[in-house]
Amino acid sequence: MLPLASLWRIARRDLATRIRGLRLLAVCLFLGVATLAAIGSLTRGITSELEVRGQTILGGDIEFSLPQREATAGEMAGFRRVGVPSATVRLRAMANDRDGEALLSELKAVDGAYPLYGTMRLESGARKGPPPSGAIWIGKDLATRLDLKVGERVKFGEKAFLIDGIIAEEPDRLGEGFTLGPVAVIGLADLPSTQLIQPGSLYESKYRVRLQGSADPEAVGKALTAEFPDAGWDITDSSNGAPGTRRFIERMGQFLSLVGLAALVIAGIGVGNGVASYLAGKRPGLATLKVLGADSGTVARIYGLQILAVAAVSIVAGLIVGALAPAIIGAIAGDVLPVKPGVAIYPLPLAVSAAYGLLIAIAFALPPLAATRHVPAAGLYRATVSGAARIDRRTVIAVAAALAAIIALAVGTAREPLFALGFVGAAIGLLLILVGLGWLVRRTASRLPRPKRPLFRLALANLHRPGAATGALVVALGLGLTLFVTLAAIQTSITSEIRSTVPQRAPSFFVLDVPRSDAAAFRTMVTKADPKAEINMIPALRGSVTEFRGQRVDELAELPEGAWVLRGDRGLTYSPVLPNGSELVGGQWWAADYKGPPLVSVEQEVATSLGLGLGDTLSVNVLGVEVQAKVASFRTVNWDNFGLNYVLVFSPGTFDAAPHNMVATVAVGPEAETALSRSIPRAFPSASLIAVRDVVSQVTTLLTQMSQAIAAAASIAILAGIAVLIGAIAASRERRVYDSVILKLLGATRGQILGAQGMEYAVLAAILAVLALGLGLAGAWYVVTQLFEFDFAPDPLIVGLTLLGGAGLSFLIGIAGSWPLLSAKPAQALRSL
Amino acid sequence: MPDAQRQSPNAAIAAHNVTLTLGSDKAPVEILRGVDLEVAAGTSVALLGPSGSGKSSLMAVLAGLERANGGSIHVAGLDFAAMDEDDLARARRGRIGIVLQAFHLLPTMTALENVAVPLELAGIADPFGRAAAELEAVGLGHRLTHYPAQLSGGEQQRVAIARAMASSPAIIFADEPTGNLDTATGQSIIELIFARRAALGATLLIITHDPELAEHCDRVVVMHDGKIEERVA
Repeated sequence: MLPLASLWRIARRDLATRIRGLRLLAVCLFLGVATLAAIGSLTRGITSELEVRGQTILGGDIEFSLPQREATAGEMAGFRRVGVPSATVRLRAMANDRDGEALLSELKAVDGAYPLYGTMRLESGARKGPPPSGAIWIGKDLATRLDLKVGERVKFGEKAFLIDGIIAEEPDRLGEGFTLGPVAVIGLADLPSTQLIQPGSLYESKYRVRLQGSADPEAVGKALTAEFPDAGWDITDSSNGAPGTRRFIERMGQFLSLVGLAALVIAGIGVGNGVASYLAGKRPGLATLKVLGADSGTVARIYGLQILAVAAVSIVAGLIVGALAPAIIGAIAGDVLPVKPGVAIYPLPLAVSAAYGLLIAIAFALPPLAATRHVPAAGLYRATVSGAARIDRRTVIAVAAALAAIIALAVGTAREPLFALGFVGAAIGLLLILVGLGWLVRRTASRLPRPKRPLFRLALANLHRPGAATGALVVALGLGLTLFVTLAAIQTSITSEIRSTVPQRAPSFFVLDVPRSDAAAFRTMVTKADPKAEINMIPALRGSVTEFRGQRVDELAELPEGAWVLRGDRGLTYSPVLPNGSELVGGQWWAADYKGPPLVSVEQEVATSLGLGLGDTLSVNVLGVEVQAKVASFRTVNWDNFGLNYVLVFSPGTFDAAPHNMVATVAVGPEAETALSRSIPRAFPSASLIAVRDVVSQVTTLLTQMSQAIAAAASIAILAGIAVLIGAIAASRERRVYDSVILKLLGATRGQILGAQGMEYAVLAAILAVLALGLGLAGAWYVVTQLFEFDFAPDPLIVGLTLLGGAGLSFLIGIAGSWPLLSAKPAQALRSL
Repeated sequence: MPDAQRQSPNAAIAAHNVTLTLGSDKAPVEILRGVDLEVAAGTSVALLGPSGSGKSSLMAVLAGLERANGGSIHVAGLDFAAMDEDDLARARRGRIGIVLQAFHLLPTMTALENVAVPLELAGIADPFGRAAAELEAVGLGHRLTHYPAQLSGGEQQRVAIARAMASSPAIIFADEPTGNLDTATGQSIIELIFARRAALGATLLIITHDPELAEHCDRVVVMHDGKIEERVA
């Protein structure tokens, strides 16, 4: 065998003059690798920033969160023993301006040690500690929406605060999780003067601790829980300061990576086509090498080295762009991201992307490369090779191994391997369907009656003639367009579910913390504003599950699958009757006047995840008191009606000893909605009003941002498909020039020739559009109805326009690619044919 | 005197002072240097000359495949110099038939379809019936549904001849039609071209290196270095 150096010398000499032939390979690999590297780097950039800034995001090394109560003196002593604690209290409350306008806000009261890490930045500069007594710092959104300025006053509960500054950056914003309104910060000492905290009010006390030395937060948390077993607190440590955000980013990153992988597979088809047409153009060179004594293996190695070299350069270029993506996206769209990603090189996602690129190059470039080994030197001189090129077993095994490695890599690096496996399985299924359909299109085109008009005939023949790229185009563009249709259908279905279905059934407001004693007055006020008002008011408490079936929750090494109810504190209620939106599926509902030992009705899926049976025990910790109840019934709950749905509903009398308030949903007409949004906060200062419209708008914004990110990743799939199309046009250029010259010779005008080309691409685009519509809608139906459990209601106009846009673009690029054919001069071309 | 007025009334082809320059502005190559040629309607002319003398380029200009840089060209009564590429394409329909050395059939069409294409483009009635008759006339009635790749070189050239003759053109251009064929096949092709031309009463301009073939023609014109050197009756 010729030494590698000699092989490379020959390969490089040839490559230096003809590198343009591998442009399609380079573009496709670059696009795919850059996309994957960008998604991977961005995800890693955000999650590592969450890790690096964990202490600031959490506000301490460890956080003990207590629902509806403050820490006892003993617990405080425990916190002080392990480090420096900082106390904050957070609750939802209405901010009222001087004109009586009210806005739901997140009121946060902080002590002198706040923030333990990071800095509170106001527009006027950085601050440490709480605002001065009687003063408040408010979020930008609150200032804008109530038109408040520094020096003016804003009222929370019974206290009017002097605005001391506008918050530019709250250090522990991410750690606070989902919020329904803008933040406002006051000193902890000022909180009692608001009179918002009453027995039963829904608030949360958080104790962040800066630990001494290098104490392990996890060990500290365990030790303090053991010391205060009835505390019922929720512990978070700085290694994962914003678990919800992190989970979301990792999931989103994984989904986008899989979409990116689909784009890379399409790019792989381009790689295969690019290599095949490059080698077809190299036939004389290949033959010459063979004539000069190079065996098939040597020839394959020389051209393999060329392909590998160009692939390596493209992959490196893709990695460079991908590595820069976090910085570029952070600069352009930093506000949309939860944190600005760190500017650093993340080797793991880059290595994974490079591996994908290399494996795709191997899987798709090997077959055309291997085909050259089995063509005799004389055969290489022939213009076309008849029949399918033979591919040896070794190549088949190598290609299969590369594909298996791609699947293993996708599943192995996934956060949720089963989901990844499902996605890869679906993608393979779709590929096989498209390959089959590509074959069917060629076969059908070859069997259709021959059109009478010659240009129609030519257009039809171009779809099935030997060497036609119809199959590859159906797969590449079909996959891209299918992805687009799927995403458009999913997005519009979800949007329509939120925009039209939900508001029809949803109430106007959620009202939190209506004092029990004011329940009747509240009803009267609402009914007076709108006699047709629908009011649903139930008791609201918060507590955490501490035991089920005799199993202590804090002794579980890992939460059972689907047992999210065991995580943190949950909303609890009691009711004499079966709540609206619930259906009894097991056991019996207690009598309305039941006065016996505590009973509980559990939502069926949660009961299954906990393995609960009728008569089993379940304990909850409410305000530091543990209450044990027996499971009396199971219910299914209709979650999407925006009603008051609780997983755990207890029998009346269970929480008589615990002070608590009421929570209500109010459905009124638009006029009463405006009037009540002003009168309820005034009449019930401790109550918080949540406008459903605002929630819907927040969720819609989030979903829109998510779909934009997915659409951006999917666009690469379309771009890769278009690269394949351009490559196919380039590869068939010679025969298209030939056809057009002969047609001109026989009297065809340029318009007629362009018409024939247009017809070919129009037929192809129409077939792809029908295909993509069918497959894309089927995929979207599965995701919307089976995963989201929503109604399948895609917007036909948007789906149609998306499809038309994609198919139209493919058509236009096909036509644009044919443009140079028109300028081919017959006499000139005939000389070279 | 204007070029048009110099043209003989019965000339099928009249070219005067035709020039053609190809290549880039920096390195122009003069292909035709003031060619004057008239071919009377219904006659046959053999165009001889060494390789590179400009024979094929002159034929390309006269057939409207290439636009000359200068001079006047009247073919079948039409002023080719005043036409653009599409006008020239339309002008060829039904008037001009072309036979080339390398056959140049459309590979995705059968023999019948190849012959029918110019008839269809010219809007001639019953294109497939006429194409079939023409193929019958060149001895390929049994090969109608065969693709070019399924035909021998001689058969492919017969299809090309049928295609050129099918629309009964007034003028036939043939550029070394036997160049890719063996002697025996070439001989039969020449006989076929002349027989079909005679049947149609068409004007023929044929490029050849073969003096024997040239003898079949009414006139022989010899080109050298982009100019016509001699005319032999």
